This record gives sequence, structure tokens and C-alpha cells, in this order.
Amino acid sequence: MSSKSRAAGRGRGTWLKIYGTLIFVFLYFPMIIVLLFSFSPTRTIVGLSGLTLKWYQELFQDTGLLTAFWHTVLVGLCAVAIATVFGTAGAFFITRVEFPGKGVFRAMVMLPFLLPGIIMGLTLLIFFRNLNVPLSMFTILMGHVSFTTPLVMFQVSSRLMRMGPTYRWAAMDLGANPVQTFWHITLPMIRTALIGAGLLAFTVSFDEIVISYFLTGTWMTLPVYIYGMLRFGLSPKVYAISTIILILSLVLITFMARYTGRSAETYRVSKRGAA
Amino acid sequence: MKRRLSKPGEFIKGIPIAVWLLALVAVPLMFTFVMSFYSSSGLVIDTTLTLKNYRLFFTDPLYARILFKSIRLALAISVLSIAAAFPLAYMVSFKIRRGRNLLFMLCIIPLWVSYLVRIIAWRTILGNRGVINSALMAIGVIQEPLTFFLYNQFAIAITLTYICIPFVFIPVYTALEKIPRNLLDASNDLGANELRTFFNVILPLGLPGLITGFIFSFIIALGDYIIPLQLGGTQGIMFGNLVWSQFGFAFNWPLGAALGFILFAIAVSILGLTSKFGTTEGGFLGE
Amino acid sequence: MKADNAIDLVDITKKFDEVTAVREFSAEIKKGEFFSLLGPSGCGKTTTLRMIAGLEVPTRGHILLEGSDVSSTPAYRRNVNTVFQDYALFPHMSVRKNIYFPLKMKKIPRSEAEPRIERVLRLVNMEGFGNRLPQQLSGGQRQRIALARSLVNEPAALLLDEPLGALDFKLRVAMQKVLKDIQRNVGITFIYVTHDQSEAMTMSDRIAVMKDGLAHQIASPDQIYNDPATAFVASFIGDMNFVHGTVLDNDGKTCILDVEGQKVTAKRAVELAKAADALVCIRTERVQINPQRRVENRVSATLSRIVYRGTDYEATCRVGQSELRAVIQAVAWPADLRVGDTVEAAWSAEDVIVFPRAEEADVIKYSVEAV
Repeated sequence: MSSKSRAAGRGRGTWLKIYGTLIFVFLYFPMIIVLLFSFSPTRTIVGLSGLTLKWYQELFQDTGLLTAFWHTVLVGLCAVAIATVFGTAGAFFITRVEFPGKGVFRAMVMLPFLLPGIIMGLTLLIFFRNLNVPLSMFTILMGHVSFTTPLVMFQVSSRLMRMGPTYRWAAMDLGANPVQTFWHITLPMIRTALIGAGLLAFTVSFDEIVISYFLTGTWMTLPVYIYGMLRFGLSPKVYAISTIILILSLVLITFMARYTGRSAETYRVSKRGAA
Repeated sequence: MKRRLSKPGEFIKGIPIAVWLLALVAVPLMFTFVMSFYSSSGLVIDTTLTLKNYRLFFTDPLYARILFKSIRLALAISVLSIAAAFPLAYMVSFKIRRGRNLLFMLCIIPLWVSYLVRIIAWRTILGNRGVINSALMAIGVIQEPLTFFLYNQFAIAITLTYICIPFVFIPVYTALEKIPRNLLDASNDLGANELRTFFNVILPLGLPGLITGFIFSFIIALGDYIIPLQLGGTQGIMFGNLVWSQFGFAFNWPLGAALGFILFAIAVSILGLTSKFGTTEGGFLGE
Repeated sequence: MKADNAIDLVDITKKFDEVTAVREFSAEIKKGEFFSLLGPSGCGKTTTLRMIAGLEVPTRGHILLEGSDVSSTPAYRRNVNTVFQDYALFPHMSVRKNIYFPLKMKKIPRSEAEPRIERVLRLVNMEGFGNRLPQQLSGGQRQRIALARSLVNEPAALLLDEPLGALDFKLRVAMQKVLKDIQRNVGITFIYVTHDQSEAMTMSDRIAVMKDGLAHQIASPDQIYNDPATAFVASFIGDMNFVHGTVLDNDGKTCILDVEGQKVTAKRAVELAKAADALVCIRTERVQINPQRRVENRVSATLSRIVYRGTDYEATCRVGQSELRAVIQAVAWPADLRVGDTVEAAWSAEDVIVFPRAEEADVIKYSVEAV
């Protein structure tokens, strides 16, 4: 500790801390605005005349929105289930099997997660249209599976690599065949990684707008619905739902922090959310 | 362990992920590539192969102009994001002793706030009846709302920077955290003050994280179309809008495919740069 | 008889692509024997162990376990168990569950297993630790649980891969005694991999000294120390002097050599012809300085260095271009010796070991360049 103060900062970095605090304020200010406005009966700060739950009430009466919310949960759960199966299988493949070009293969699997959503959205749209598949829950689900699978694969493969081969050797040495080794030893040891990845994937899927918008027909997810609401101006209901989403995300991220143990792991970031 | 080619039987494990890769990545990309050589007249897609779309892109100055504008804006956004995130990461990594983890989480949380919510927030802040204008009018600085906050490149820049800051923060912070603290001791011991330590030790070692952060921010900014659509107005047409509109009102899917593929090529080449110059750690491409 | 042996290794070879890790290694390991594989890192000892365990498949050769060929039997069907270097205790299981695991794989019910688990816990002195998790144990404790887990199945042989490597010195010495006692009590065959020659020497019935995949010598500690088969073995074990010499005469029982112009007699069977270049080896503790009694080999030397090491002194004697180090117990050290003195370095003829000069390349050297 003293070495840090000695070398990296004779100064306690006060200018830096001021700048850092400003950035912080910049980061949180918009969210607080949304929060405030969700309780405000009018739309301007000047008219901040008391708090109201009116918008939340309207929210719960908006059947379209509630349906979209339910749809989002459904897609999220299904996508996570599918992604977990494929992603975990992929993780085992990547960590246990050697072949030339493995890096390229891995990069290709990561693509849907790293590329801007517009690219994935349009490729899948063209793909489904060419196969005459109508836009529906299925297409949206496939879209979500495309970017959640790499996430799961990445998390699980990291965990597998950290685990190392020794436990498997020990299990086999002590009499467990490969199936028993997987079931009794490997699976329990990657359990937290699986749960963490699942939570992360769900969170990412919940918020996803870009790909979903490309692949949506009449069956909508919440972000698509909200986006639709935006076109007609900023009804304060939007603030209410935004606040709810905010709280939900925070809850999910707290769960995730607990399950993935090291706080460093909670930053397996969702590029999906923005790109 | 030595890297040896695995036995053929082992490759069975790879079947599920290979199927997934084909179905959701490889084949759609192929279809898109093929479609980029079709053409569209009205509502009908003509499947005779042609280079028309690509030729249009390379000859019509509109496309080049908008692509250039988008690249320029994306670069600006990335620079701004780094200007915000890097000092923040430096501060948390080197200057904070207690509560480091909590602070880290606090820097990450904006990431989990819904993308749409963040857009909504900024529209509220920047709009004519938004927070800034209302505040300024209330104080009496201005009589009429200032319109230059919204529906232009400035709005896009601010909002996208806001989105990108956490994405830059993470790889930079990870890279900075990996710098062994005893290097700083050694540098100090050998006579360098904080500034020189920064330029000679911290910056070079943190550079891969910086580069990764910059690249991710750039790609996000380049490929986004929703923010330009919502906040950019007529001034703020970006390449993403151009691509997207081909699938909407313009209904020129082949052109959209071609433009999309060009964007894809750009994004992939840049991503390739990360593995060369950036950090492969930090939770994105490897560990 | 083959069936008397716990393990037979017949010409085991293991290649990884172009690299040959183990070369035609053959050994007959007897039941109840404490057999060590000793050598520097990369010599193939761990690979050999893994082949016995079944975690690697030999490229050529056969492995027999109590007479039957198990070369292609997978690890989970072989009746040998391994103690790994990092113990590999399953972190999500308690100590008791860890030890139960091999029995569970054999479908032995909990009721029958409990007494066996208790017995083996008692054997390693860890009763009462059954409900702890591996993370709650110290290094030495984990080591003992790993041992218990591997013994509970009563395997035909126990394979240990540098199990004491992670422990600090005093703990390591203590654990060596524990391991040796357990081995003797249980009567189980131990195959022990280590790079620490003193560890192998103190614990083993026999040692296989390996380098670059080849076994240079398989013999008892006594034979390895006093009758090394190659210059490498001579240099790897104990502290040895190496000087150049030329064969003057050799009648099969006694060999006379020229070392730095002085005559040296070796009372040993040496297979070198007259005028051949030789590597002459003498243990440092066998070199005396200004001895009282008459000894066959005496050379005149200059004391170039004296190092006091507590229990003994290490004196370096320069003979011409060569150096001979003498290690002399502190109680026997002539108090009046100084650096620069001319002394008589002497040793008996039985203590001279001779190898062909070409083997010098294999000798383990300790010098700055070697680092």
C-alpha cells in the first residue's frame, strides 16, 4: 500500500479525482433524470410539483407493454437455455481439442457478440427471408441465440481453462470413466460459471433492441415495444418502464456478482446492449 | 502441454458448436454476400449477378461522404471516450485504496442500464423542453430553447460517448491492473517521478488495453443506427442509417446487403487489429 | 517371475510428435518396493509415471501390472492410483467425500466404505478432518488427504509425482519419514518421482536415474552412490570431482592414469584402452588433505579457496590446470591451513571412478554459464 502511494502518486491525485468525479456525475446524471421523471407528473424540471405514481399505474394497464414484457422474458429464458447447451459444448470443444486454425474458429464464434447488431440483424434477416421463414418469435429467438451463445462459450471456456486438467486426471486415475468424470467432477466445478453466464446472457438478451428490431414481425419484445413508443414522443410512461428496467438490471447484476465470485468476472460485458 | 493435433474421435465434441456456427453465422453471411450481387427494381429482387451495388458505393459520392462522416464521428467519439475513461481507470487503479471493488462496480453499472433508457435519458436532457434548456430558461440565461443540443452530430456524439465510456473503461482498467506494482517501485527507485513513470512504464504497458478500448468504442460508434435515427435529425445521417433504410423504406435489400457487407469487412479488419495490437485479456477475446 | 513383480515396464518409449520423451525404458518393480524415478526436469520421469497410471499411452512397449498387460487399459480401469503434485483434491467435496470418491466409482455402498475411510484417515493421522473442505487445509494436510484418497482403494501400486515439491524444507523432511513409514506399514509398492536426489536416496529401495528419456542406471542407493554407471549419474548424486586424465595402463582390475602429470591409481574395472582420454571422478568427501596414514594416490596441490560450511570445510586444491575439492569435517580440519599453502591431496584407489572423456558432456555442472 505504501509502495503505491510512493511510486504511483506522490500527489494524492486531487486533480485526477476531481476529473474522475465529474465523469462519474456525467455517467449517473442521465439515469437520475430518468428516475426523477418517472415520478414527476409533468415533463419539465421547473414543474417538479410533487411525486406521482400515475405513470406506473398507466404502465400496468398497458396490455401491449405487459405482453411485450412477457415476450422478452420468454425469449430470454429460451435463448439462455439454447445458448447454454451450445455454448458449453463449444467451450469443451475449444478447451479440449487441438487443431490448426483454432483461433480463427474461436473468433468466428465470437463474431455475433462483437459485431455491431446491424450486421448480424441484416444477415439473419436475409437468411430467414431466403428460407421463407416468417418473422416471428422463432426468428427473434434465433437472433438472441446468436449473440448469447458466444457469451456462454467464453465464460465457460475461461472457467475450464482456469480449472486445468488435473482434476480430470485425478478422477480418471481414481476409477471414474469420462462420463462419470464429467458428471461428478467437471460439471459441479463449472456450475457457478454456468449460472453466471446464464444470468449475463439473460440480461443482455433482455435489453437487446437492434437485432430484435430487424427480426420482429408482430410479435414484439419489450425494447422493440418501447422503441415504438419513442416514435410518438416521450410519454412519461417511458420513464416509468425505464426505471423498472434499471432496477431489474441492478438486481440481476447483483446476483451475478455473487455467483461469479470474483468481482472481476462481473464485467463480462454485453456489447449487445449497445451495438 | 505441447500443442498436438487431437485424435479424430475428439472432434465429435465440436459438432454442436459447428452446427450453430454454420446455421447462425456462416450461412447467413454467405447469403448476404450473394444477395449483395443481386439488384432490386421496385419490389422485385432480380437475381442476375451484378456488381451494380458495389459500383454504386464506390462511385456515388453520397456513400463515400456518409461513410467518411461516420468514420470521422466514430473516431471523435472514441477519442472522447478514452479521454473520459482512461483517467477514470487510472484513478481507480492507482489512486484509490479502499472500496476499489465497489468503485469498479459503480463504473460498470451504467453498462447495465438499458441502451434504450440511455437514449431516452439523453433525449430528455438535450431536447427543447429538456433538462438543459429548462434549467437555462429557468435561470433566465436564455428566453427561447436552444436547438443546437439535439438533432445533430453533437447529440449523437454525446450519447454515443456516454454509451462507450464503460466499454473503454473495462479493458483499460484490466490492463492497468495487470501492471505489477513493483515496476512502479523500481521506476521510482531508479529516479523517475510520477509523470515520467507514467510515460515510460504505465502508458506503454497499458497501451494494449487502450487500443482494445478504442477499437471497441469505434466499432460500436460506427455500427450504430438507432442513436443517429433518434437523436441525429437530418444532419445526423450515418452509415448505419443508410444500411438500415435499405431494409426499410428504400426496400433495396441487395444494396443493403452490399453496404452491410462492406461494414462487416471494415469491422472484422479492425477487430483483427485488436488481437494484434490490443490486449487479448480483459474479458473479451481471451483470457 | 513376472507375476511377482508389481509392475513390469518393457521397453517403454513415448514420443510426442518429433520429441522422444522416454526411450526404451525397462524395469521390473517388485512388490512392496519403494522405487524412485530420479532426474532433472525434462528427463521423462513424469511421463513414465503417467504411462504407468494410464494417463498417457506408450508409443511402443508394454506395461504389465501384476503379470497382465495393461498397456491399452485406460486409467480408470487400472488398479494403480496417483498422488499428484498439486494434490488435485476436488474442491467442491469434503475430505470424506473426496476419499469416498474412488470407492463410489466402484459402487461400494457408503456403509461399507465408512470404515475404510476412517482407517485410511487414521493411517495418515487426519482423523476428525472428515468434514473439512480442501480449501480449509494446509499444504501438508492436503498432501496427506491426497495420499489417503489414493490408498483407500488398496491399489497394486501407488504413484507419486513429486508430492513433496510444494512443501518447505522442514515439512518436507518430516513428510519423507511419514511416507516411508506408511509405505512400510501398508506394504504397498511405491513409485516415486522426484528431482531431489537426497530425497530419492533416503527413501528408496531402488532408484532409476534418468536423463533425456534414458535410464542411466537402475540400482540401490548404495550402488548408485559408489558405483555410478555413467558420468551423469556420478554428477547428479552427491558431490563429485571431475578431472581429465589419460590411461597409462589397464589390466582389467587396476587402471593407472596420468592426471596433470601425476600418477593416479584406480582399483576398479575400467573399460578404456591405453592412451584413451578419461574422465577421472573422486567424491569430495573422499579427498583428504595432508593425511596421517599412507594412501595410494597423493598429489601436490595449492589451496586456492577455503569455505567454512558449519559442519565441514570445503577446500579447493589446484593441481596444475585442474581443481580438486575436498570436503573435510570441521572436527578434523587442520587449523593451520591457509589459502595459498602447498598441501598434499590424497585419496585411496578404491575411490577413483573412471569414465570415457566423451561422457563429460552429460555431467551436470554448477556454474554461471550453465545457468
